[in-house]
Amino acid sequence: MRRGSIIQIAAIALVAGAITTAAATLIPWLPVAAGEEATRIHFVYWFATIISIVVFSVVIAVLIFTVWKFRADPDDDSDGPPIHGHTKLEIVWTAIPTAIVTSIAIVSAVVLAQNSRAGSDPLNVKVTAEQFAWTFTYPNGKTYGSLTVPKGRHTRLDITSKDVIHSFWVPQLSQKQDALPGAHNFIVITPTRTGTFPVVCTELCGVGHALMRSHITIVEPAKFDAWLKSGGQAAAGPPGLAVFQQNGCGSCHTLASAHATGKIGPDLDNLQAEAAKANRGPLQAFIKESIETPQAYIAPGFSDVMPHIFGQQIPTDKLDQLVQYLAAGSKSA
Amino acid sequence: MTDLAHAHDQHAAPPAPTGIRRLTAPGWLRVLWVTPIFIGIGMALPVLVRWAADWGPIWKGQVIITIQLVTAPLGFLVGIGGFDYWAHYASGRPTRAEDHSGHGAKTWRDYFRVNTDHKVIGIQYVVTTLIFFCIGGLFAMLFRAELAQPGDQFFTPQTFNVLISDHAALMIFLFVIPAFAGLGNYVIPLMIGAADMAFPRLNALSFWLLPIAGTMIVAGMVVPGGGPSAGWTCYAPLCSHQPLGQIFFNQGVQWAGASSIMTALNFLVTIITMRAPGMTFWRMPLLVWANFTTSLLVVFATPFIAGSQFFVMFDRVLHTNFFEVSGGGYVLGYQHIFWFYSHPAVYIMMLPGFGIISEVISVMSRKPIFGYRLMALSLMAILVLGFSVWAHHMFVAGMAGWLRVPMMVTSMVIAVPTGIKIFSWLATMWEGRIRFTTPMLFSLGFISTFVIGGLSGVYLASVPIDIHASDTYFIVAHIHYVLFGGSVFTIFAGFYYWFPKMTGRMYSERLGQLHFWLTYVGFNLTFFPMHYIGLQGMPRRVADYAGRFADINLFISIASFGLGASTLVFLYNMARSWAHGPAAGANPWRAMTLEWQVSSPPPIFNFDEVPQVVGNPYEYGIPGARHAIFGAPHPAPVGTD
Repeated sequence: MRRGSIIQIAAIALVAGAITTAAATLIPWLPVAAGEEATRIHFVYWFATIISIVVFSVVIAVLIFTVWKFRADPDDDSDGPPIHGHTKLEIVWTAIPTAIVTSIAIVSAVVLAQNSRAGSDPLNVKVTAEQFAWTFTYPNGKTYGSLTVPKGRHTRLDITSKDVIHSFWVPQLSQKQDALPGAHNFIVITPTRTGTFPVVCTELCGVGHALMRSHITIVEPAKFDAWLKSGGQAAAGPPGLAVFQQNGCGSCHTLASAHATGKIGPDLDNLQAEAAKANRGPLQAFIKESIETPQAYIAPGFSDVMPHIFGQQIPTDKLDQLVQYLAAGSKSA
Repeated sequence: MTDLAHAHDQHAAPPAPTGIRRLTAPGWLRVLWVTPIFIGIGMALPVLVRWAADWGPIWKGQVIITIQLVTAPLGFLVGIGGFDYWAHYASGRPTRAEDHSGHGAKTWRDYFRVNTDHKVIGIQYVVTTLIFFCIGGLFAMLFRAELAQPGDQFFTPQTFNVLISDHAALMIFLFVIPAFAGLGNYVIPLMIGAADMAFPRLNALSFWLLPIAGTMIVAGMVVPGGGPSAGWTCYAPLCSHQPLGQIFFNQGVQWAGASSIMTALNFLVTIITMRAPGMTFWRMPLLVWANFTTSLLVVFATPFIAGSQFFVMFDRVLHTNFFEVSGGGYVLGYQHIFWFYSHPAVYIMMLPGFGIISEVISVMSRKPIFGYRLMALSLMAILVLGFSVWAHHMFVAGMAGWLRVPMMVTSMVIAVPTGIKIFSWLATMWEGRIRFTTPMLFSLGFISTFVIGGLSGVYLASVPIDIHASDTYFIVAHIHYVLFGGSVFTIFAGFYYWFPKMTGRMYSERLGQLHFWLTYVGFNLTFFPMHYIGLQGMPRRVADYAGRFADINLFISIASFGLGASTLVFLYNMARSWAHGPAAGANPWRAMTLEWQVSSPPPIFNFDEVPQVVGNPYEYGIPGARHAIFGAPHPAPVGTD
């Protein structure tokens, strides 16, 4: 290999490197981190990205140089030189990638260990997934349809599922964990900035998978303590609203008074019209039947996807509150 | 090796059947009446058993369908003649051990019967897999149309989930894996100097399982109740509670898997026992090496996916509790078994492509393969390591925590032999005389896209990055960079490279180049932006998504339609050139491997004389070097290279 070739390849590699570096830095590939774990994961990402830019630029430079320099004329019938190999070169391109991937593996293992630490006094929240809703239960026993956590404190999520496999992910926190039926998985999040971010189900869990969403609100520790003591924001509305939120009804149904915009199931603002169409007795009885045995009547245009377990899951008094709330909400609408 | 002259006079076809014998002779007429009988047996069996055992209700649709999905394909195979020879042998009727009447194809009808000629079977495979490639691609166009905008436009979420599940299932089980099996079927016996595969009748049977598998998976979409909508990965317990179509999916995968295993066994025995004199392992072309390692992967790994699909079906139909938590099942067991196949399957879908690229790059650069032995050894390294990385698909699944770091290390290390192959191809081209034919363009396109797919694979091997990126569009981007930019590009390279050998005609180079550039640009525009939306927070397998991803999804959808349209150029080129292309000659690429030393298409038994292999397959640039000579004194001594 002549010196001229090396210089030309290096020049192409520099151009390729500059372009890929610009693409890597000017485009915001990752969401802005909102937690310590995410910051560490982003570090591994950038570590791998720098290495990848170098590897990609060199390989592409050699490829471009080779096909440009060694292209044959159409009437050239000659063969290339019979080079069968070069042991030293082969050792080099075995050893360098080995060293590179080993370094990425070491950095990854260290970050993985750090991201699993929950400290001595984490906030423990139980996360329960079901088709197609998230519920979050706090140490005081209260359950909500969305997650509220304090900034700057480890929160340890105990994740499980009632039916099929789901997966808990907050893109800004980077942590992700599958929710398994009959088993408990744990992840730690340590928020570093306040705000509201989406909670996304990332494991295909059925027809409502795309809409299985909730949100996480990160607040200052003092505000969190006050919120937890007051019983949470859900207590502000009618009692049925809390039941509605705690059972994640809003992820499938639309209900204006609960700010719910789900689209998998029928629009609950139109309950009265639906009940008239269904013609299955008075409004309240119809609502109760639709929660306890949803398969009894399926609204036109929908299918039997609502879980059949709410009847057993929601205590009778709470169920009555929910039915009243829905009937009232519908009347006022 | 039998005396070829003796074999030749026995391959005259038996006289065409007449009268009532047309109904009993193997063929489509017999299919028409045998299949209904077997469907009836499939119905009667469970009904009789349930009646005799006094199990109510006697009529249970799901059980009957499950049994019928076993009996109906058997009826089809009996009808078309897949078992005739063995049935004659088993019942003591006369058989002709040297019966070659099943060989060759004189008319298009010969492609629609049980044909034992590996060259005919190879073309049967290629055409069948291309049909399923088009169907699977059409599904992709449909769900990209849905994804062009957020919200529901064309399909319900249920239909959307069916489309994505069957898109992946068809592309993996009915296109990439069998397309490689088809190319291998055609080329391997020729490359090693054999007259056919070791088990021609098994070969024919394994092909006919394929249309069964594909039909079953497609039919599962439209059965009453609904199609399989749990993704191609079909995770329990979601897939144990799917509509009826799921059973079609579970069993369709079994038939495709059985076909795959039978072909792999055939390849192994053929490569081990039927190499021409002088063809030592270290003189085999790298495509043969690649299919040898792939076949080892298939025979070890494929039974595991069969197990996983049987178990979920049993959980559903027989009420077993392999993965049912309420009955004491182990829900992650499914994923461990499934990925113990499905990660090696990634290499099953890649190693034959590596082989194709090695052939094309060496020939088109007019240079020997750089580091031939290390190339073969890195295939073996991938084979061994491939079995130790499966759990990197489960880093967020909640498996045993200690398993994550070892699985990360093996997943990282497997990048090393893959890197060796990339560097060796570059070194092969170095100082070569590169000719930019269509197969070479696809090979170069493959290298550039596979580097990206390989690097994103290293990201995903890193546990922390995988925790963020798992189950997002980043994964969708990665698998398409390795399975489309990887496998499919190599399949196209192979189709173009061996098209003159298979048809005796040359494809249109101008259309081939157009096809390449449309595919290459369309591919990158479609899949590269998916890295971005995935990392930003868009999960995979969603029919609806947040409004902030709307513009980029519209862009991806439009690009994907362009990518889909590029296939039309390919199909037109293949169809037109097969009918009207100029004669290709025996060796249009001036290649040294054995398949190019015979006419195009090759004689019915491949070689009129047994070749004597005297050297390596890629000795370009060495004056007078030969891979094989014909007309050597017979029997020739085996070389000891």
